Amino acid sequence: MALLEVQGLRAGYGPVAVLHGLDFEIPEHDIVVLLGANGAGKTTTLRALSGMLPASGAARIDGQSILGLSADRVCARGIAHVPQGRGTFNELTVIENLEAGAYLRRDTAAVKADIDRWCEVFPVLGQRRTQAAGQLSGGEQQMLAVARALMSEPRLLLLDEPSLGLAPLVTRGLFERLAEINASAGTTMFIVEQNANLALDIAKYAYVLEAGLIALQGPAADLASDDDVRKAYLGF
Amino acid sequence: MLLLLAFVNGSFFKPAFFLQLVTNGLSNGAIYAAMALTVVIIYKTTGHLNFAQGEMATFAAFVVYVLTAEQHFNIWIALPVVVVLSMAAGAGLERFLIRPVESRSNLAVVIVTLGLFLLLNALTAVIWGTQPKTGLRPFPGGIHDQITVLKGPPQFAIGYGAIGTWAVLIGVVIAISVLLNKTKLGLGYRAVAANRESAQLVGIPVSRMLMLGWALSTGIGSIGGVLVSQSSGTLDFNLMGSVLIYGFAAAALGGFDSIRGAIVGGLIVGLAEALLPNLFTFVGSELSLAMALVIILAVLLVRPQGLFGTARVLRV
Repeated sequence: MALLEVQGLRAGYGPVAVLHGLDFEIPEHDIVVLLGANGAGKTTTLRALSGMLPASGAARIDGQSILGLSADRVCARGIAHVPQGRGTFNELTVIENLEAGAYLRRDTAAVKADIDRWCEVFPVLGQRRTQAAGQLSGGEQQMLAVARALMSEPRLLLLDEPSLGLAPLVTRGLFERLAEINASAGTTMFIVEQNANLALDIAKYAYVLEAGLIALQGPAADLASDDDVRKAYLGF
Repeated sequence: MLLLLAFVNGSFFKPAFFLQLVTNGLSNGAIYAAMALTVVIIYKTTGHLNFAQGEMATFAAFVVYVLTAEQHFNIWIALPVVVVLSMAAGAGLERFLIRPVESRSNLAVVIVTLGLFLLLNALTAVIWGTQPKTGLRPFPGGIHDQITVLKGPPQFAIGYGAIGTWAVLIGVVIAISVLLNKTKLGLGYRAVAANRESAQLVGIPVSRMLMLGWALSTGIGSIGGVLVSQSSGTLDFNLMGSVLIYGFAAAALGGFDSIRGAIVGGLIVGLAEALLPNLFTFVGSELSLAMALVIILAVLLVRPQGLFGTARVLRV
């Protein structure tokens, strides 16, 4: 059974409908990528899943419905969302950001161990423990946002355009880290990306969103190698 | 500029006189700092200004008056009780009055707090009348309750009330900083203040943090109300009128989102209010507020975010 099952997901902003009924599923321990042009509804999909937007349809994690829950309850169900533009707590230090990521956890000792763990995985964070997050570079903030999300020990990690505004080399490093974390910790990931090349590289399965509907889906490797698909949907 | 020198008051520079003015300024400033703190604590998480802050404090001071003057409780028992009740009332106001209108617009919240201001002001007058009552006295406040440092004349003395006010402010600041910086609850509050949406995404119950802000603010406000009553020696339904204006001025000067700024801003406003009318012969005490505001305006022209406020820089 898939970790996340979504059926007929509809969402939008006020009277403007953006998603017109999406069906997809994310198997446990996999990396799934959601591609699509600007305005296709990628960010809306993630925001609907994490309780930031009202949505209709069905979305179940482990068979339990998450639609209609407030964002902090969704987080408690094991979904961590790294928002577009990173959303770090800029006035807080790196360590405090990570502690805030573990806000719902009660196991203080394990939280400390996890902070050290992610500071090892992302050495730049280890070097800047007591610096305010606002002083970090864009790439460092993105690492921090990912590490902060991982601090909640999520079953499912939602990443919204992690490559946005990052230098190509930094983006590559970040995606390599994500693949490693997926391989070592088995964290399931659902990544929204415009940078289709890199995302398809590490993903197992991919969906392509067009005007609020799933236009195409398939194993990531197939999509990446299909010339027609590449020209029509991925722009390269 | 030279012309200004002609209006300088010579006796301003006598040490005893000057020290006395500084002491008075710092003791009023501590109260302004407390009121600025109440403004900032709510603003940081919600982005709202609560204009009813002063009237809420006045109401709390009257409850303390009832408990002490009429029910004969010791003020040091009455005050903590009222602080706790105020905190509950503050949290309740956020939950049932502010939150329902908050999603509509920020202006709606402004109107609601202004309405609360008028309502509480009238309610206080209706319940306790418009005649001033004897001021509350958490600290000895008689004419001889002071430590005379320089016999003079001019004399330099520090009243027990001023010392008490400083002690209370220091206590409040320590309590707030421990709560915000050393506890998980405080981490949640600061995370909401830094980025409300991200705070939701990491599982922080944001609405509870907004209630916490209102509770803390209202609790500190009630302490402020009692201190104002002590220093002014009276208690009436317009107790906080000008004090809250100074408090807002202090918050603007220090930066609306900075707790440190509220403290420093409050002390500066208090000092300016005490020193300026005595430095220049042409500034009467009725002009001291205007002079203080001129200084604040000058600072804000150079630093619009206030002395310690965060400048909003957006990286696109």
